[in-house]
Amino acid sequence: MEHGKHVFRIVILVAVILAVVLLARGFLVPKTYGLYGRYRGANVAQQMDARPVLHGGAAACGECHSDQATKRAAGSHRTVSCEICHAPLGAHILADGAVVKPPIDRSFTLCARCHRKVAARPAKFPQVDLDQHVNGPVEGKVCLECHDPHSPKP
Amino acid sequence: MPEITGFSFPNDIHVTWSLMIVMYPYITGFVAGSFIVTSLYHLFDRQEFKPVARLAMATSFAFLLVASLPLQLHLGQPQRGPFVIITPNFTSAMAGFGILYSFYMLVLVLELWFVWRQEIIERARRSRGMKRALYAALALGTYDTSAEAIEIDHKAIKILAGIGLPAACMLHGYVGFIFGAIKANPWWSTPLMPVIFLLSAAVSGIALLILLYQVYAKLDRRPVVATCVQALASWLWFFLILTITLEELELIVMAYEKSESWLIISELLTTRLSFSYVTMQMIVGGLIPLILLAVVVLMNRYLHEKVRNTLATVAAFLTLIQVFSMRWNIVIGGQLLSKSLRGLRSPYEPEIFGREGVLMAIALFVAPFVILWVFDRVLGIEEPPGADGHGNPPAAPPPVEATAASHVP
Amino acid sequence: MSDCHDGCNGSRREFLSGTLKLAGGAVVTVIGASALASSSSSPTRAPRPGGGEYDWDEHLWAYLVDTTKCIGCGSCARACKAENDVPEGFFRTWIERYVVGTEDSHVDSPNGGMDGFPPVQVGFVANKSFFVPKICNHCRATPCTQVCPVGASYRTKDGAVLVDAESCIGCGYCVQACPYGSRFIHPATHTASKCTWCYHRITKGLKPACVTVCPTQARQFGDLKKDGDPVRAVVEHDRVQILQGHLLTEPQCYYTHLDKEVR
Repeated sequence: MEHGKHVFRIVILVAVILAVVLLARGFLVPKTYGLYGRYRGANVAQQMDARPVLHGGAAACGECHSDQATKRAAGSHRTVSCEICHAPLGAHILADGAVVKPPIDRSFTLCARCHRKVAARPAKFPQVDLDQHVNGPVEGKVCLECHDPHSPKP
Repeated sequence: MPEITGFSFPNDIHVTWSLMIVMYPYITGFVAGSFIVTSLYHLFDRQEFKPVARLAMATSFAFLLVASLPLQLHLGQPQRGPFVIITPNFTSAMAGFGILYSFYMLVLVLELWFVWRQEIIERARRSRGMKRALYAALALGTYDTSAEAIEIDHKAIKILAGIGLPAACMLHGYVGFIFGAIKANPWWSTPLMPVIFLLSAAVSGIALLILLYQVYAKLDRRPVVATCVQALASWLWFFLILTITLEELELIVMAYEKSESWLIISELLTTRLSFSYVTMQMIVGGLIPLILLAVVVLMNRYLHEKVRNTLATVAAFLTLIQVFSMRWNIVIGGQLLSKSLRGLRSPYEPEIFGREGVLMAIALFVAPFVILWVFDRVLGIEEPPGADGHGNPPAAPPPVEATAASHVP
Repeated sequence: MSDCHDGCNGSRREFLSGTLKLAGGAVVTVIGASALASSSSSPTRAPRPGGGEYDWDEHLWAYLVDTTKCIGCGSCARACKAENDVPEGFFRTWIERYVVGTEDSHVDSPNGGMDGFPPVQVGFVANKSFFVPKICNHCRATPCTQVCPVGASYRTKDGAVLVDAESCIGCGYCVQACPYGSRFIHPATHTASKCTWCYHRITKGLKPACVTVCPTQARQFGDLKKDGDPVRAVVEHDRVQILQGHLLTEPQCYYTHLDKEVR
């Protein structure tokens, strides 16, 4: 009926707005969205190369440092990865091949992190009460005076 | 660094959902609550709400315009906000925001247009130049104010109110679902959450309108209609009783069942949230308004109009605080406890400045009132006297601005 | 409806038919336009991601923790931090210490255990104490991907739960939804971040950094689809536990010798 003209117009206006929004949305959805599931499929490949591999594993160190590697493999630190005390491989051999001397903490703090006596550690694990174990003050590189970190005595 | 009592998971010490996420349900609560009031008139034909019906609709609109801002301000990557509409993941309640917000906006704008259409045409006819072009555009170039056209308008309004009411409820209810459906957080996880949020929204909307009605009537030099205040107070009391009952019930059941989360939650409520929960939400915002409103409702016959107005206004103001405290206690409170259920962190102190700060929250709360003021300038909130299509007697003396222009001999 | 006087025969019909035609046309246009413009077509056989050697259909990763072997040295947390550039104060993996008595229990994780653990005094008689390493459990029925509003968080076919940092809007919903506290919002990128099982390593045949450095084999990483895999053997044949099993998130991080105090 002729008195409904204003209803007509507002319905058309709404339809136009909806069409524009849906059209715009269609162009904005990323191309790989929905490829494998409700996510941007291209991200999976991106995650595979998201960062450089930093830790090489203990075996990789042995390629250049075979002496230390052999000594370590024969001693009680054979399961302790080089990268725990020294830096990860990627901080030593940089991406462009340059070799950088990694920092090493030779103080008792490093050793104490594993070997200070803490009740929660498994009883069979070698741990000591530092004050009782050391003759004299516990400071500086006191652990290295008796122990070789690559093959500490059991 | 926050202080932790007990043990919290290392990542749990950070409060991710800030003051902005407290403001968001607060604002959408006003949107839904105001719309409930206007629907009581436009959909359910309760005549006692006529004096506030238009004000309520305009208020709902004003708060709706602001509603998406707290979310945008909170996002870590705000420019990606539209992703919620572009690639929504519909297993997430939050993805519903785009659709629910847009849909309700559409319905409300349409309903506003039909309600204010006569004023728009009236102003289009009266003005010149740029203003005339504006109003003509708003009227979509049609100037039909015949009785049949108005009849169609009323039907449209009723249909839109019928669609709008569940839409408004969904717009706020889904926020409750966002919290209620998180099984990881025992303070949030309950099926009652959407219901509590919705009832709380009704409380905040009605309370706001009690306050706004008093202010607007004063500014517009209209009398405050006693039956309207009485009706608003009654409904406020009703919804407040329901809200508080459900909030308390949830707590009582949790305490009775004494499941593994109760120990840490009771510590949360008695230490970190003792002020905001016990003092503000339950006593200042709960018990006191319940008593004041009981007086207004049960002793209606004996009250002088000024006393009724004052009691209702004070009660309304206190309930606004209650609703804010409730949002705070849920959003912030839920993040003070760690998922380890062994630790609580020190209370969250929002920054003053910054995009998620206190000043921003105040600005967000004030903005809708500014919008309402602009709305009144552009369209006029209440209809001018004599233009009523229902044959009701004209209201009190018209506002000063309209007088000079509308008296056409 | 108002009376139809002379002169408006069928005008109501005309009005209705006009509106319906218009509405129908609008709907068709809208659907057609969005279908045309939408470029997310799913081919019947989606190509392998990355296109390289790694085929994610051949693997189903799982993590195994033996709490009796953990010495609380924190090397795993430090390795993870270095490998994945984890920001200070946030953790992709951490170690918790439990000190348990009959009356009470005490849990702590100083700086996530990254600097090891100092001895601790408790105010009750302690019967047992142990360390529990924690990481993202990469759950099969994970609540975190369920609540992501934009599909930025997802689970790969080989079982890793990842976050697409280019799609993440930083809303923080996934952080709230994780029952294990594994996620955080990265302070620099303002997007969600968490343990990825070192996806950049495991897709090259390596193990995650934490597993690589662990000196006591407390942490192990395996493939549930590989014959003879030691982790698979334990998960399938030995008694294993998971965290917060009542939530049915199906975590893929399994524990052996997990104490009842651990959540």
